[in-house]
Amino acid sequence: MNKFFKTSICSTLLISSFCYADIAVVVNHENNSVLSDSDISRLFLGKLKKFTSGGKAVAINLKLGSDTRNEFETKVLGKSASQIKAYWSKRVFSGKGKPPPELVSDKDVLSMVASDNNMIAYVDAASVDDSVKVVKVF
Amino acid sequence: MKNLHKALILSSAIFAANSQAEITLNGFASIVGGVTTSSDDTLYGYDQDIDFSQGSLFAIQASADLGDSLTATVQLLARGENDWDPDFEWAYIAYDASDNLRVLAGRQRVPFYMYSDFLDVSYAYPWITPPEGVYSVAFDTFDGLGAIYSTSMGSFDANFHMIYGGNNSEITVAGETVKPDFIDSMGLVATITRDWLTLRTGYLQTEMNIPLQGTQPLIQGWQAAGFDSVANDINVMKDTGSFLEFGFQIDYNNWLVIGEYTELNLDGTILPNQDSFYVLAGYRFDNMLVHVTYGEDDDARDRVTENVPVVDQLLPLLVPTNGLSDSQKNQASYINLGLRWDFHDSAALKFEYMSYSDDLNSNNDAGLFRTALVAVF
Repeated sequence: MNKFFKTSICSTLLISSFCYADIAVVVNHENNSVLSDSDISRLFLGKLKKFTSGGKAVAINLKLGSDTRNEFETKVLGKSASQIKAYWSKRVFSGKGKPPPELVSDKDVLSMVASDNNMIAYVDAASVDDSVKVVKVF
Repeated sequence: MKNLHKALILSSAIFAANSQAEITLNGFASIVGGVTTSSDDTLYGYDQDIDFSQGSLFAIQASADLGDSLTATVQLLARGENDWDPDFEWAYIAYDASDNLRVLAGRQRVPFYMYSDFLDVSYAYPWITPPEGVYSVAFDTFDGLGAIYSTSMGSFDANFHMIYGGNNSEITVAGETVKPDFIDSMGLVATITRDWLTLRTGYLQTEMNIPLQGTQPLIQGWQAAGFDSVANDINVMKDTGSFLEFGFQIDYNNWLVIGEYTELNLDGTILPNQDSFYVLAGYRFDNMLVHVTYGEDDDARDRVTENVPVVDQLLPLLVPTNGLSDSQKNQASYINLGLRWDFHDSAALKFEYMSYSDDLNSNNDAGLFRTALVAVF
């Protein structure tokens, strides 16, 4: 019903940018960590550097400007793209840290996460395949 | 195959895991225009002629990952008001001793205020520049060691920043450009963040040696008259300056409230003690932030001649010395209205109007309009 409602709004108003896709947060199959929403957000903000299992955590971003990234930042981090940019500017120019490395496509992200059990990333939920484990869908 | 694919991704994304000395370049810029609103007003160096160089700056930062948890970083900053001559604001080697502890050695920022660490990165905060009344210590960098310890306690993130070092770069004090010697500068700053709330407090102190030429005739005069203690109270030599700060930030939904209170204690010198605060309230509408700031500054220096007998032959020293102490007094308040428009992924436009009142001399009241284009890259 919800989905129907969303679709009908989209089609009637034809505002495609308002029709958001779901975001899947993914890790390697060997990663058994249990992650709360706050853990996920802090991993991507560089405040948390380890998984609950104790392993080193490396967050991966999508390219600036990508719809999936904007959606992730709004839904999961609760910030706009410019607020996130301001956040990382503070850290980069004060020697406190640097933002997660960026990859161009969901496909690149999936193969990276599939091959390295330190990685955590997010993709459009529709792109997810068996190569990775979904921690949470937002 | 999989490995090959990974290697390709890595190289295309400039992903600096194991490669040697990958250099990352970042930068920021502010182009600021300012003009006072009435012909005889001056404020923070602005007057009735519109000026674009005063607050404008460009900076570029290069950071090299040396591997084994070592990074080398330099930040070159050129200011319009210094004829765009670039200065090294930061130049340090950082060592990540653990996930929680980072040690910085070299030139870095003194963490006086909440926004000190990124003082010139206007993109990172609401105003064009943080309130000048509070952000008024005469120097902002030091050479030495810094240690940043970050940890989590439940849902709280805590950050402790310690520094030790000194600085002898030229500064401007009481209208005089002078080469000071700050030694044994040390401090501790604690910041606690939970979700939408940030609390910060810091204490810093330093030994100060500031050979102000303008005060030398008085100092020599009092020494010749046999009043060494008065001479010492004027002179800024081997005196300890201390600084205390409390700050908070609330970033809740679309509301933003920020406040800072500072106390600068320069007892034993002719320079004034300074208490100041500001509070900002702001609201975000989509990519616009409207904000209003109210602040007060209170500077004062007690007369250093209280134990001197008022006799005729000392009047030529007493009068100018008391005049100098009294002239350090300043009481001012200001209201600043601002708009920040995030019109681009990496750039913002800002507009501000400040109404400044000098509570001791209304001739110094001023209105100042400023606009800025700020960017990070």
